[in-house]
Amino acid sequence: MKLLTIDVERHLPDIEAPATGEQWVLVRLHQDPLGILKFTGAGCSSAELATIIADKFAHRIMRHLGGDRAVWRGMGELRSPCPRLAGYRRPKVTVAVCTRDGSERIGECLEALVGLRYAPELLELLVIDNAPRDESTRELVDQHYPSIRYVREPRPGLNWARNRAIIEARGEIVAYTDDDVSVDPGWVDAIARIFAEEPEADAVTGLVVPDEMDVEAQRLFESYGGFGRGFDRRYFRVNTRAGVLTSPIYGGTGQFGTGANMAFRRSAFARVGVFDPALDVGTPTNGGGDLDLFFRVLKAGRMLVYEPAATVRHRHRRTFEQLHTQLANNGIGFYAYLVRTAEAYRDERSAVVRFGIYWFFWWNVRRLLVSFFQPSLFPRDLILAELRGCFIGLGRYRSSKAVAENVRQTFGPQSAGVDAL
Amino acid sequence: MQESPRSPIAVRMIDLAQPLSSITGLSRYTAVRIFLRRADRLLGTFDLLTDGAEAVSVERLRLAIAADFGTRLFKEELARTLGASSPEPAAAPVAAARPHAVSIIVPTCERPDDLRRCLESLSAQTTRHSIEIVVVDNKPSSASAANVAGAFPLVNLVTESRPGLSYARNAGIAAASGEIIVTTDDDVVAPSDWIEHLIAPFYRAEVLCVTGNVLPLELETESQRQFEVYGGLGKGYTPREFNRSWFRAQRDGVPTWDIGATANAAFRASCFRDPAIGLLDEALGAGTPTGCSEDTYLFYRILKNGGTIVYLPSTYVWHRHRPSMRSLRHQVHAYSKGHVAYHLTTLMREGDRRALWRLATLPKVHLQRIWHRLRGWSDYPIPITLIEIAGNLAGPFALWRSRRRVRRLKPSTRLQPAAADEDTPRLDSDPEHAHAVPLESPLSQGPTA
Repeated sequence: MKLLTIDVERHLPDIEAPATGEQWVLVRLHQDPLGILKFTGAGCSSAELATIIADKFAHRIMRHLGGDRAVWRGMGELRSPCPRLAGYRRPKVTVAVCTRDGSERIGECLEALVGLRYAPELLELLVIDNAPRDESTRELVDQHYPSIRYVREPRPGLNWARNRAIIEARGEIVAYTDDDVSVDPGWVDAIARIFAEEPEADAVTGLVVPDEMDVEAQRLFESYGGFGRGFDRRYFRVNTRAGVLTSPIYGGTGQFGTGANMAFRRSAFARVGVFDPALDVGTPTNGGGDLDLFFRVLKAGRMLVYEPAATVRHRHRRTFEQLHTQLANNGIGFYAYLVRTAEAYRDERSAVVRFGIYWFFWWNVRRLLVSFFQPSLFPRDLILAELRGCFIGLGRYRSSKAVAENVRQTFGPQSAGVDAL
Repeated sequence: MQESPRSPIAVRMIDLAQPLSSITGLSRYTAVRIFLRRADRLLGTFDLLTDGAEAVSVERLRLAIAADFGTRLFKEELARTLGASSPEPAAAPVAAARPHAVSIIVPTCERPDDLRRCLESLSAQTTRHSIEIVVVDNKPSSASAANVAGAFPLVNLVTESRPGLSYARNAGIAAASGEIIVTTDDDVVAPSDWIEHLIAPFYRAEVLCVTGNVLPLELETESQRQFEVYGGLGKGYTPREFNRSWFRAQRDGVPTWDIGATANAAFRASCFRDPAIGLLDEALGAGTPTGCSEDTYLFYRILKNGGTIVYLPSTYVWHRHRPSMRSLRHQVHAYSKGHVAYHLTTLMREGDRRALWRLATLPKVHLQRIWHRLRGWSDYPIPITLIEIAGNLAGPFALWRSRRRVRRLKPSTRLQPAAADEDTPRLDSDPEHAHAVPLESPLSQGPTA
């Protein structure tokens, strides 16, 4: 079933019993996600739902309203507008969706984009079509979505497309999402708010919830870790000026979020560089481009904020084979990112190697061992797929760099400005 | 304890009665320790990790406050809303108390910069009470204190050449003319409403002493941070009241160190004239072989004689902890010596056999601490425990040396009881006052709420 989003300050609906899979309900208060309720068999009435919400989220709701109290004189009543959602200096935001041959699946994504609640004159919507085989995506955008600008990037590779978005963007903020994602109407607002509040923040990531819970593969992906990173906002920063290394603390940059929901200050790319074309989908590394940029933001001594109110819905892979490939790519991409980091930062090298070894045992080997004691928890071949990916990933970055160089030779530099960065 | 020596922590006070504003100037720090108050009430403290960021935004601050205090603020707000129909509570006793003559005693020993800062804050008190500041120079041979004190018109400079904090305080008390004696230290900075709140509970006749909270002025060095881990000087954020029934309920020694410290305390002057209570014990306290405990022993005598002591968590002063590791070790050693000296004094002078129990259990306490540290259950450093053991062992000998020293130097001159002091309560003849007052009763919150 499609995920339901409920704002507790509004009227609560009845939850119907799920016809397929499970019914997941994202519960929010004043745009802040409180948590997810899962209905597997039966649904419930709105009165029962109210009881469940009060039972599960009383503490979080109290904390939220108590926090409102700290800035607002007067009771932060549930149904009155949240004092924190007051006005702020809105920056111009560019939203970029990178896609390749995605005309069948991108419809929902584009519908969500045009439904964004943000001043239209401050919002720029881009679809970056990455080395497409045909014109179907261009036709779809041109015919149905006049507010969206279509841009073609002929160099194959997701990070080439992301860099194209930086060149094209006219906003102060560049927010990225994927073609299998539907953004929440308040997504851009939540991101822009953080950038306005935190002048030191160069990157904002957000919550990714499953768009639907229909089949076993989707449930497995969520139980494997999913894309969500919790319902609490967190601030990350490394005191690089004091000589603190980044990788021992935040080497596992996957904890911050994912490329399906990330945004950067455009000026940050001048500080930390643009996306590495040798990483991510469309290259032999198949991932890690987002992780690499998160790392570089922290390495530059800037702040990264995880803001769950910036929520998007991701359609997880429906088949077991797709999930298998995805998890293998997780391992490949992550270790390719580590190899790149070790190559790029001499001072972090030994720490990255230690982190890579530790992660291999803590994440992969430990889960493999657990799977022998509790086989029902998660299919072992999926764990093995990621474990194998780790070894494959170690060698992939080198070969991928050659591919990227090849692309640069064939198509010429992407833009003088970006290539120089 | 686990921070590197290069991780200074900034200290800030945030008042929720004011609109929140961002905290700036943090780029030198790894974290900021925030003390949270709402108007006159101190709610508590929390640390926010900043990792060298220049500022903490309002939104981030709000989130951090919500995480630690959100539930509590909500409950208070809810209670206020539910009670909105009930009549307003009685006027705060702060305004009800009549003006007193207050003498603030500041002993000093060659710390002119600290003393200047202290006197500046004391001169800036806004209060209805008449204030007299008595600075006691415990090292008159150097003119440093006299130079500083000369710049402040309110200050009355007294000298006491016999070294020792108790000698100095006693000299100050003898020279003071106020009916309330406030004790503090030269390394303290007081907020401008300090005296007004500290004096407030004296409207109750049975209250002989009021203590307040002590917060760190800065946490720049490792030793200043460790001193806070060690316990600091503050006694928490819950109002408490200590009286004879509390005194009698203690099984193994009377833990008067939980009451407060002379860095932030006020006494009725009549206490010191009462022969049963008297002045500070010259054999105890900083500057003597025992190192400390003159205040705990004074609290002991006040409670034993039926007086009530009120701890006001919201009435704070800022204390600048000694910045060097050497002085921290010295201080911990002194506390441990003084701890034993205090119990021995209550045993020998007052015949309090409960002290024996406390002394007998000390080895167990230390061994338990070491065991917990080794198991990783606590981060109380073992070197500190070893210093404490050494201090405890040195305690009896230190007390003996200290007593000999007092015999040589002669005790401070005893004060004569005032003939007709209407503030002196006759508690022993009044069974009503000996009655148990419940701890943390709403009454005890009154003056600051």
